[in-house]
Order: sequence, then structure tokens, then C-alpha cells
Amino acid sequence: MIGLGKMALLHASILSALDSVELVSFCEISSLVRRFGKKIMPRIAIVAGVHELADMGLDAVYVTTPPRSHFPIVREVYTAGIARHVFVEKPLASSYSEAEELCALAEKHGGVNMVGYDRRFSVTFGKAKRILDEGTIGQLSSFEAYAYSSDFLGSKGRSKASTRGGVVSDLACHAVDIALWFFGRLEVRSAKVESLLGEGSQDAVDFQVASSARLEGWIRSSWCKEGYRMPEIGVIVKGSAGTMKVDEDKVEVSLGKDAPLLWHRHDLSDDVPFFIGGTDYVREDGSFIRSVLEGSPAEPSFSTASRVEEIIEQVKRMSSASK
Amino acid sequence: MLVGDNPFHGISHLSQQRAVARGHDLTNPSYAANLVSISLDNGADGFMFTVSETTLSILRALNKERRRGDLRLYAMVPYAYEFVRMAVLAGGVPGLARKLGQQIALSGNWRAIASGLKGALATDPSSLLEAYLYYETARLRSAAGRKSTIATVMLHELVTDMALALNMEWMFKTHINFMLAHGIRPGFETRNFAYLVKKFEDWQLDFGKVTIAAPFNSVGFQMCPSREECEDALRRMPKTEVIAFSVLAAGYLKLPDAAAYVAKFPTLSGIAVGVSKEQHARETFKLLRGNAP
Repeated sequence: MIGLGKMALLHASILSALDSVELVSFCEISSLVRRFGKKIMPRIAIVAGVHELADMGLDAVYVTTPPRSHFPIVREVYTAGIARHVFVEKPLASSYSEAEELCALAEKHGGVNMVGYDRRFSVTFGKAKRILDEGTIGQLSSFEAYAYSSDFLGSKGRSKASTRGGVVSDLACHAVDIALWFFGRLEVRSAKVESLLGEGSQDAVDFQVASSARLEGWIRSSWCKEGYRMPEIGVIVKGSAGTMKVDEDKVEVSLGKDAPLLWHRHDLSDDVPFFIGGTDYVREDGSFIRSVLEGSPAEPSFSTASRVEEIIEQVKRMSSASK
Repeated sequence: MLVGDNPFHGISHLSQQRAVARGHDLTNPSYAANLVSISLDNGADGFMFTVSETTLSILRALNKERRRGDLRLYAMVPYAYEFVRMAVLAGGVPGLARKLGQQIALSGNWRAIASGLKGALATDPSSLLEAYLYYETARLRSAAGRKSTIATVMLHELVTDMALALNMEWMFKTHINFMLAHGIRPGFETRNFAYLVKKFEDWQLDFGKVTIAAPFNSVGFQMCPSREECEDALRRMPKTEVIAFSVLAAGYLKLPDAAAYVAKFPTLSGIAVGVSKEQHARETFKLLRGNAP
């Protein structure tokens, strides 16, 4: 486990509860965190540098460090032969070119690769994807996707927010990934990024996308939105036969004048073997480990996640061009 | 029967939009204190809550009115949402630790400060946990007033379940020993009840001394790994205090059905239910009292 922050502890907890996984080591740059980590988890090795993992005979690594460090760390994992199978917390990299380079490295070295877009493992988004694939709401014409949180609502200054790389890479990427999963390849038509916490910060974004199948969409995100105690991702899709709304709690399909069809999480077998931090993360880690054990490809792979980076890059380019 | 605090934090596990739609009244301490009071008047035995500025304000409001001399408190620490938010704003886990250290230092609680210093200097996580527990129990006692009884202080599910998965036996023992030494029953909130029971058996922890809070409902909502395994673990447990929460499966089930389900388990010592309106508070606890074994 590279990194020893909250996402590392979350994944480490989930993996430790799985029978097929042995958590061998953490790699953490902060000496203070390492010192306490060794006392808190005396049976797990805690090292300072990625190169120290090389002789441990690892099958897989998780990269949970801040996004700007993903590229050099994943590159080192592959080139130093530290592990064949790699899981990276979202986003894959801090630019599209870095993401492409990591895809090429993954292709060259083989093994399973996956990026932590956990909403794909939500039972409601899974149900929504099946509804779209079955054509229940007919020919798709438009969609609206959103990703909101109150993380920085009322926060002063941009410094803490800027360490997360801006709302587009940090939060909107979930909505982008879901939109790509639902609708396939998209191109950005226009984009507007707002700075709410200070000059140069990216705190709200609003952009329009389109597909080659004449589907139009709008993706909106903010981490300064009131009323979102927890981050929420949602999509509203319009088709020739009806409308579908999906968020993390429910899926609702309206077809003509009939009463809407409604599925809550409770109706969709939202069970997991061990519960921590929500069911999506548990299924996500389970899926990655199953792919490693079976030698089958995992989704969302580096290649799939690089499409998110492509959209993010287009958004940043278009928003700066429009200033 | 305990009145829970989720609605007072703006939580609805059935729908975040529903939580937003409930509005701000519920997070107003006076309004929330009134709901707790009505619940107690109609059959609730105590208040189960995470220790936060919101719930401490509710306790102060209850204490100020001096309407109740019989309030039993079932507290949980830490308030995980606030800690995660603090970590986000303070720049991760080290930033959160710094911020918490500052709060403890500014509290003027000398036992907490001494224990914290010992923990920091000796890299001793048990002393740091004790510093934190000194800090939380002190502010809890101060807000609750002399007439209230702190029945238990539980570790929040995020801490409990992480410590279970990562085999942090020391954390459970430190919490149990600290609370018993201070005359408070130690407790643990978990969404992995069967897993916790198994670990406690392996570690030979005394079930008789602790309180465990876990989800129990007829649809198995958040009962991990399964409803059947949690029910089996509950049936074969030695004498202990188990409190059921999520009995309504986050609003998915109707109260009479939920009450009928929990009544099947005489080993459950209690249940916790949140209420959001005065009428809701009256009806809920009257009905539950009527179904009590």
C-alpha cells in the first residue's frame, strides 16, 4: 500500500478482511506517520521509499498518494518490477499525456491494472447502466451529470483545496467517468471553471459535451455546494421513451404516463462481506482482487480511466481559452 | 429504547436529497432537544449520539431546561464525518492530528494534555488514544450536567471496523481499560457484528463488560457479512449489552414491522431510532414501548 492516509487505511482495512489477501507493507514518505504506523500495526512493514518494496515479492500494489505523485510512483512500480498488478486511486495521473504513458507501461508489463472510480461499483449506477444497455428509455437525446460536495463550503483561502488539484480532477472526474461508462466516447464543446476560494483555484465547473451519436450532455460539479454532507454523484438521462434519474441512493425510470419505476439500494442486493466506508469500495477492491486471482482484465482499467483525463484536459483547455 | 441523533446531523441513509429537504430545523439544538425530551416522555430510555458540537449543544439545552434528571447517555466518538472534513481542510491525516492536538491543548484539560505529550514523545498510540478519550469525556460530562448518566462511550464504527480489520487489538483493550477505570461502560459501534464477535472471542475480551451497537433489521441492511450470520452471532453470544440500530433500514421499513423483527431477539438489550418531528417522536416510542418484550 503506497501512502498511509485515509484512502490507504480504507483499502488496507477492506483488503485485510478478505481471506485471499495478505497486507505486507505500507510505503509512506512522512517519518512521523511511519513511526506511529509501526506502533499501531507492528506486524506490517512500513518503509520510506518505493524502491524498498522491490524485494518483498509483492503480487499487487495500491497507489493512494496525492494525484500529482501517481505518475512517478506507478512508473517506478513497473520499471523496478515491484509488482505486476497495480491499483491507482482516482485520478490516474495529473495530465492526459502522463495517463497515456502509464497505459503504455501497463501494456508493456502486463498484469491487471485498475483505477479507483468506485461509483461504478454502486448498485444503483450498475442498475442504471443495465437499464440504458437494454434500451428501456429508447434513443438517448440528452443527459445532465453532476458531482457536488460541501467539502470546501465556507472555507477561506485556496491553499487546502489546491492540494487536491482542483474540483475538475478531484470530484467532477467521477461524473465524467460515469458519463463515459454510460454513453461512450464524448467530446467537450464548451467549458467554464469558476474560482470561489481564491484566485487560481478551481472550485466549480460547468461544461457541455456531445457524442458522435448526437447525444448532448452537461456535466456540473462544485465542492462548495450547500447541503451535501457527503459528496453526491448523479445523472439524469432523457430518451425517446422516457427519463431515468440515478444517484447513489436510488434509480427512477419514468415511461410515459405510468407511475415511475423506483429502485432503492435496498432493492438491489447491496450486500458486502465486510462494511467500511460504504459498499462501493468493498466491491471495487473485491473486483480488483478477483481479476488478479483469475488473471482477467479489470475495469475501469488505466486505458478506460485515461479517457477521463482526456476530457479533463479538454475542459481545462477550453475554460482557459474562454477567459 | 434510545432516541438516535442521525436526523440532527442531517443524515438520511435512504436519500441524501431527503436529508436536505428536511431543512435546518433539525440541526437547531433547541428543536432537537425538544424532540429528545418528547421521546423520553413517551417511553425512550436514553439518547444515543456521536459527540459533536451539535449534540453537545443539544445536551446543554436539555440540561438548561432541567426537565430531566434521568437522562441516560450513549455516546460515540469520534464524530467521523467532522474528522474526515477536518482532514480534508487540514491537509490529510498529519494535518488532522495537528488540529486535534491544538484542540486538546486549548481545552486546558491537563490529564488529556499530559497523556498526549507522553504519547507524542514516546510514540505511544495508547497514550494518544487516552488523551483523546480524556478530552471527549470531559466535554461530554461538562455538557451533560451532573444529573445525567453516561451509560457508555462507544468507539465509532469507522474506528472500530478499521481496527477490527487491521487487527488493532491494543485499541480495543486501551478503550475498555480507560472507560472501566473512569466508571463508564466501554462500547463499540460496528457494521460487522459477526466479525467483531469472532475477533473478540479470539482476543478473549470480556463480552460482559462491553456494549456493542450494530444494525439489525429484517432486510439485512448493512448487516455484514449477512443477516443470517449476524443473527447467529447474536443468538450464541454470552451475556452482553447489544443495541440494535438501523432497525428501520434507513427508512425503508415501517416501524411496526421493524418492532416485530427486533422482538424476536431477546438477547438484544436495546434499539436506537431517530425521529424528526414531534408527532413522529410520540408515535415511535409509544409503539416501541407497546411491543417491548
